[in-house]
Amino acid sequence: MKLKKKMRSVLPTYAVLIFFALIWILPLIIALTKSFTINGFGNYAYVLNYEKINYFRVISNSLFIGVVTAVTVTVITALAAFAFSKMHFRGQKIIYGAMLACLAVPVAAVTSPLFATIKNLGMLDTHFGVIIPLIAFNSPMMLLMLKNYFDTIPDELLESVRIDGGSSFCIWRQFMIPLSVPMIANVLILTFIYSWNDYLVPLLVMRSEENYPVTLAAQYFMSSTYQSPVDVARIYAVMIMLALPSILVYLVSQKFLVSGITSGSVKG
Amino acid sequence: MKKLGKKNEKIAYLYILPLLVLSFALVYYCIIDTAFVSFTDWDGMSDSFQFVGLKNYTKMLADGVFWKSVTNNIIFFVGTVFIQALLGFILAVFLKRKLFGSNVFKAIYFLPIAMATSIITAIFKIIMDPTNGTLNQFLRAIHLGGLAQSWLGDPKIALISVIVVNIFQWMGFSMITYYAGLMALPDDIYEAAKIDGAGFWRTTFSVTFPMLKGTTNVLIILGIVGSLKTFDLVKLLTGGGPGRATTVMNTYLYEKAFNDFNAGGAASIGVAILIIAMIMSFLQIKLGKED
Repeated sequence: MKLKKKMRSVLPTYAVLIFFALIWILPLIIALTKSFTINGFGNYAYVLNYEKINYFRVISNSLFIGVVTAVTVTVITALAAFAFSKMHFRGQKIIYGAMLACLAVPVAAVTSPLFATIKNLGMLDTHFGVIIPLIAFNSPMMLLMLKNYFDTIPDELLESVRIDGGSSFCIWRQFMIPLSVPMIANVLILTFIYSWNDYLVPLLVMRSEENYPVTLAAQYFMSSTYQSPVDVARIYAVMIMLALPSILVYLVSQKFLVSGITSGSVKG
Repeated sequence: MKKLGKKNEKIAYLYILPLLVLSFALVYYCIIDTAFVSFTDWDGMSDSFQFVGLKNYTKMLADGVFWKSVTNNIIFFVGTVFIQALLGFILAVFLKRKLFGSNVFKAIYFLPIAMATSIITAIFKIIMDPTNGTLNQFLRAIHLGGLAQSWLGDPKIALISVIVVNIFQWMGFSMITYYAGLMALPDDIYEAAKIDGAGFWRTTFSVTFPMLKGTTNVLIILGIVGSLKTFDLVKLLTGGGPGRATTVMNTYLYEKAFNDFNAGGAASIGVAILIIAMIMSFLQIKLGKED
């Protein structure tokens, strides 16, 4: 009797959860099955052997851009968040406020000046031409997340280290960073994913196919025709292969990514 | 609470210096330059330009396409946020029961956020293709061929299709935000509602949902921010078309800057976006503090 009642309350919940899970996984399932319907693994061999856009080159471009951006953003925002959270200095509030004012500023709103700047720096068609804007525009959000986290670490703890003669850098490296590992991981992974997935900045900066990251490579293949089932199978294989690394990163880092995205938005 | 003391004052600048150089400088240079360019007739490429006063702004305000793009941004925001919030809330309520497999469901709903819009739009573009697309093939197969549409090519429904893809990508975010909010609510409110004889849905919508008002407000602000940031989704799904049916502010700005070589005109749209964006940043921080 009790079991029956429990089943009755659990079943509709499962029905709804499964229904939406099916809808949400369906596009990937369609892409995956269609990619095998004609030529099977041949489509995947096609991606791997495509000459003009080398798959491994594309992945390493995105990897390089993602890792350099994520590490740099994490280091510079962790240093600055420490100063904003634990020190007193003139202009502190104004500078912090000015950084946060850029939280919602989209790169797309400033495209012409950004393009001209990268061009004048001689960085068109280079990895750093993509990395520098990504660092600049991802930092405000990450600064907010780290500063909020540092605020929760009691000052007394750090004060005692300082009295023992530790320098401020010592405090940063030996206390702030180790105590903030979960948030540091959030910031690293979030910046990596955002940079990996960015389309506009590489669109402005990159010219030659050998420098294409994943997002531009995907559109390169989309610009060819996909009217025959053979083309469709091939393009789906391309998309699966290009999506694969970020899906793997997601599965490995899901916990950090989820908590990172929520903490970045909900707390101010 | 006492801070580390005034002694540290000067050294603090060393800590913020890398951020100032690598982020602050470029972001503010771009913002100020955008404002500057908006008063010129710069083409975005050459070194020469003339000041034109407020001409770009008067043109923009009289430009029907600009207002169409603003309207599309608003429709995009409203359509996305409310459906997404409702769906995310209901799924969060169900997930909170922590049934066997809950984590798998959560992972599936959240997955599209980790994927590039560039790849998601590619997959949807093929699925929504009028002749070869899986969606129309499926409708024809179940004898509902009459419902088959040119999903991205019909000006009447293209914007809705774009919104659907956006909801697909970002619903997991609303879900996880509500989920976090639900976990923070005290359990005794459910007990009180139970004693009052309120049913499950009644409790959910007249007790739980109002208590998460803060979360909903944050999601609305972030929805506006998301709409303001929308570029690749529209550019890659429809290119802003057919006609102007799906043009949003960012795609119109891009078109002006790089197709019409009218950087001045693009910058005036940029300034409009920047003003709204900065107000939204402020609201986001303010709401976050209240939460």
